[in-house]
Amino acid sequence: MGLRVQPGIIGCAIRPVIASRDRSLEEIIYETAQLALKDAGLTINDIDGIAVGSNDQFDGRSISVMMASGSVGGVDRDIMSTPSASEHAFILGALRVATGQFRTQLIVSWSPTEVSSMPEAQRLGTDPYFHRALPLDELSAHALQASALESVVPGARAAAQAVTAKNRAQGQAAYPAPPMTPDAGALRWPLTPSMTSAPVTGAVAMVLACPEFIAERGITNVAWLQGMGWATEAGFLGDRDLTTAPALDAAVKQAYAMAGITDPASAFGVVEITDASPYAELLAYEALGLCARDEWEARTTDGTFSVGGKLPINPSGGALTWNPVFCTGLIRIAEVAQQVRGKAGAHQVPHVTRGLAHAGSGFAMMYQAAVILGQEARA
Amino acid sequence: MELLGRQEVWNITYDHALGETASTFYTLIRDEAAIYGRRIAGSNKVMVPPRSFSDETLEPTGEWVKVGPGGRIEAFTMVYEAFKNLPPPPYAFGYVLLDGADTALGGFFKGIDLTDPEAAAAKLKIGTRVVATFAAERKGEMMDFWFELEG
Repeated sequence: MGLRVQPGIIGCAIRPVIASRDRSLEEIIYETAQLALKDAGLTINDIDGIAVGSNDQFDGRSISVMMASGSVGGVDRDIMSTPSASEHAFILGALRVATGQFRTQLIVSWSPTEVSSMPEAQRLGTDPYFHRALPLDELSAHALQASALESVVPGARAAAQAVTAKNRAQGQAAYPAPPMTPDAGALRWPLTPSMTSAPVTGAVAMVLACPEFIAERGITNVAWLQGMGWATEAGFLGDRDLTTAPALDAAVKQAYAMAGITDPASAFGVVEITDASPYAELLAYEALGLCARDEWEARTTDGTFSVGGKLPINPSGGALTWNPVFCTGLIRIAEVAQQVRGKAGAHQVPHVTRGLAHAGSGFAMMYQAAVILGQEARA
Repeated sequence: MELLGRQEVWNITYDHALGETASTFYTLIRDEAAIYGRRIAGSNKVMVPPRSFSDETLEPTGEWVKVGPGGRIEAFTMVYEAFKNLPPPPYAFGYVLLDGADTALGGFFKGIDLTDPEAAAAKLKIGTRVVATFAAERKGEMMDFWFELEG
């Protein structure tokens, strides 16, 4: 299955950590959207529609797109919101371009840390009938998945520790200035504090356009959407087998069919995975067809997935380095887009012609998406 | 320059309707000290906690089925920070597949010293048999039951 009109990414702005409080949230969103437009060489007057992804509990504003509309150019202009996941804003925008009814889309997502307790804000996402009385936030859900995986995969803990070390080292190299070290996450056994990072404020924006617009403007540095798929797991963790990722399996099948990928282990120059925990990254390896679980320990300790290795995974450092919780999925897509466009900065991988982004979010990766971007207009 | 903040505290109360299915589940816990699930119509699958329909097949559920009190641990974690409206930490909680059920029920694990997480984790190993235990005074809510190691 292909898209009738193939979207291309022509501008990105990635801000994985914003430490200063010298801007309000609306000002951060405004600056990030402007940076993406500048990267594309456009102004807001070139944009047909806007898709944003935001989380009301984190923002402290209900229907937070209402306050954000002005920051992204949504006044007197088409704008829609996806509170389910930041990556869903990308999917929505891409599908709108693919309809042929929109020539351009601006995609924006953000994740502040202004709430007194991120765990409590996330806990509000559970159902009020059976789960609200448990200390269940996203980190607890990732820990539950980790405990389940450790029980069925020998060596999973050693592999998770290797993934943590890899991503942290790559993150320090990717974003060396200003010199900052992420705070450790909380202890949620078997996740130790060193295995995750505390939430930070971040934001990301992208500009999509149709081939006709890209040709008219003479834009040549494009990350073309070659394939994408997405799916959702059951809402109750007890209904799921946490040692598997059936939603990601379904998303990958859809994305690879669209892009014509038959041998994923050799198809990509770079991969970005939503490593909300190192175990989430491991589970994605298998679902993405990059590494079976019985090889996790061997492949994570022999450098295969490190920068300089056979297939660099998370050269940005991933969410294990900087963790703006709600927008990490969209950041993974933007990171791959910049790698394909040769604009990834300090962590640019040489000769990337095609890359894969895994965007996952929610409780133990309830929402899953796979996005394939490349330099070729058609896969 | 001096950068200012503006702190806000909101205190809004929600009165969520549980509906007939969840109401029956908690009433049976309160009155019978027993956990029941619901069988999906046209299937042998028993959903615990019970819901009036399967979100996998969209078939309605009907028959009430008593499950447990024994079961096996499917997933667990330990939490060492405080959560609002819960007892003081640390907490051990996770999911248990009760005997006769096809989906796992979330709940607290009690009776285990959580001071040393590694030692506690060994006792909460996946697959370990546990038993649902009920409070002497029950209100018809999640805190009426928890899981303890069997035997």
